[in-house]
Amino acid sequence: MTYRKARSPGRRILDRQGGSVTLQIVISGRGGQGAQLAGNLLAMAFFAEGREVQCFATYGGARRGTPVSSFIRVDDRPIRVRCDIEQADALLCFDASLLAGKFLASARPGALIVVNSSRPRGEFASELPGYRVLPVDGLAIAQRNGLGRIVNSALLGAFARALESPALDTLSRTIADAAPKSGQENSQACLEGYRAIGEQLQRAAA
Amino acid sequence: MNAGAKRVLLTGNHAVAWGARLSRPKVIPVYPITPQTPVLELLTEFHAAGELDAEMLTPESEHSVMAACIPASLTGVRVFTATASQGLMLMHELLHYASGARAPIVMANVNRTIASPWAFWPDQTDSLAQRDTGWIQLYVESAQEALDSVIQAFRIAERVFLPVMINLDAFYVSHALEPVELPAQALIDAYLPPYAPQHFIDPERGESWGNVVSQDLYCRHRQDIGAAMDRVPAIAAQADQEWQRATGRGWGVIERYRCEDAELVIASLGSMCGTAREAVDALRADGHAAGLVKVRLFRPLPLAALRTALGGVRDVLVLDRNFSPGAGGVLHQELRAALYGMPSPPRVHGLLAGVGGVNVPPQKIVDLALAARNREPAAEPVWAN
Repeated sequence: MTYRKARSPGRRILDRQGGSVTLQIVISGRGGQGAQLAGNLLAMAFFAEGREVQCFATYGGARRGTPVSSFIRVDDRPIRVRCDIEQADALLCFDASLLAGKFLASARPGALIVVNSSRPRGEFASELPGYRVLPVDGLAIAQRNGLGRIVNSALLGAFARALESPALDTLSRTIADAAPKSGQENSQACLEGYRAIGEQLQRAAA
Repeated sequence: MNAGAKRVLLTGNHAVAWGARLSRPKVIPVYPITPQTPVLELLTEFHAAGELDAEMLTPESEHSVMAACIPASLTGVRVFTATASQGLMLMHELLHYASGARAPIVMANVNRTIASPWAFWPDQTDSLAQRDTGWIQLYVESAQEALDSVIQAFRIAERVFLPVMINLDAFYVSHALEPVELPAQALIDAYLPPYAPQHFIDPERGESWGNVVSQDLYCRHRQDIGAAMDRVPAIAAQADQEWQRATGRGWGVIERYRCEDAELVIASLGSMCGTAREAVDALRADGHAAGLVKVRLFRPLPLAALRTALGGVRDVLVLDRNFSPGAGGVLHQELRAALYGMPSPPRVHGLLAGVGGVNVPPQKIVDLALAARNREPAAEPVWAN
């Protein structure tokens, strides 16, 4: 994994520790979309690959439709820190209307952002120039696979491709094992999300 | 890993439920409250699947939960419950009754802000406000420590006939999913034999509890409770050492992290200690002689261990995620009292950090530590938000 922490002057002392660097992720969606489950599934997939993980989510005041977030840390060493993620390396956004304010402020400059949207990549690049935004049409993928509005498998596949981790088969197996029904459809949606970002990255590199 | 142990992902709440299940309690009265609810959800799932041979009671309030725990415990069976915040507040009257009745109940409390105003954030004022109720109190930092501590707590409680409260922070521990080693049942059965007290209440036996007593009897009873409390630091240390021999994991009564030759020591309770470890490592890497003292056993406060750990240190920085209006941070008050009268005591700086769940990242602790070295400690509460 190649993500490095931002090196603002305020972080000078902390960064001198060396050693491994924690990958920090924030997932945001609206209550009922499955953002919290997606956070747990992603943590489970990283754990299945032998990584240390910590994943917690907002709770209590959450209702259907209100913004909810899931926070994930991934490292090769046991994770000791117990505080909010303020400088995320990557965001996964279930609803493009949330890509602003507090949620966007939780990302470090240059952070990778995968967003559930049918809009083209260029529009996000001009609107959010300080970040690396990769849109994926999670809704279209979900509907193609008979999953209705349940976009989390497609988005997780897309996110894993963008992060280059966890491996597709680990993630796909984690999702299928956890799905109460439609395991096959969820695996397929995960694969299509993964491929959609892969194609986008290939086009960009060409 | 130990034979039969499994490494799984669990939240702090589910780790507590597993700790309870492995301890084989016979009666579990519970009432749900955010953020403790997943504890009882998993316990009821175990029960429904036939994996937990206990009587589960779901009365109409936390007051009734504790009112059920006490007589159940007095019949000589192992009793577990869990609560948080407002639920603990509602139990308050019976917390005193439980310790007075010498009922070795084990309860997990998820530390959450107390209303009003209404909130769901980590804050330890709820349990610290129960410090005079006669309950032994442990504060844990992780899901693994929560699981291990529930099991250790029964060992301690049943040795001294006092109830134990395991405290875990809302959100950062209760709802954090992380790797946990799940010990095999056989290991727990060897570590924690069935509870078989000499005295218990049974209609067939001529024993009872709850009579009106004379002044002298009441006073002697309080002295007995005090004497039992005095034995706890050694018994808790022994329970932890045996646990370490069995599992490879020990947590200490207090833990000294990188305290060798430390000039500045951070002291705190619960999940804040995890973040403070990162700050200590950063300070050490930058050439500062910093360490951490994690106070795992808060009641009784292990005076001798704290005096040894903090004697000779120049500055002690106490981080309190709680607030007692008119007094300040509770751990700050307690540590100042514990160190009072020592020859050349440390300068004790109290900081209210993270009250109401305010975020305290490692950099914040680094900044507070560096600032404390160049400042005389204030007598009044100092807010660090």
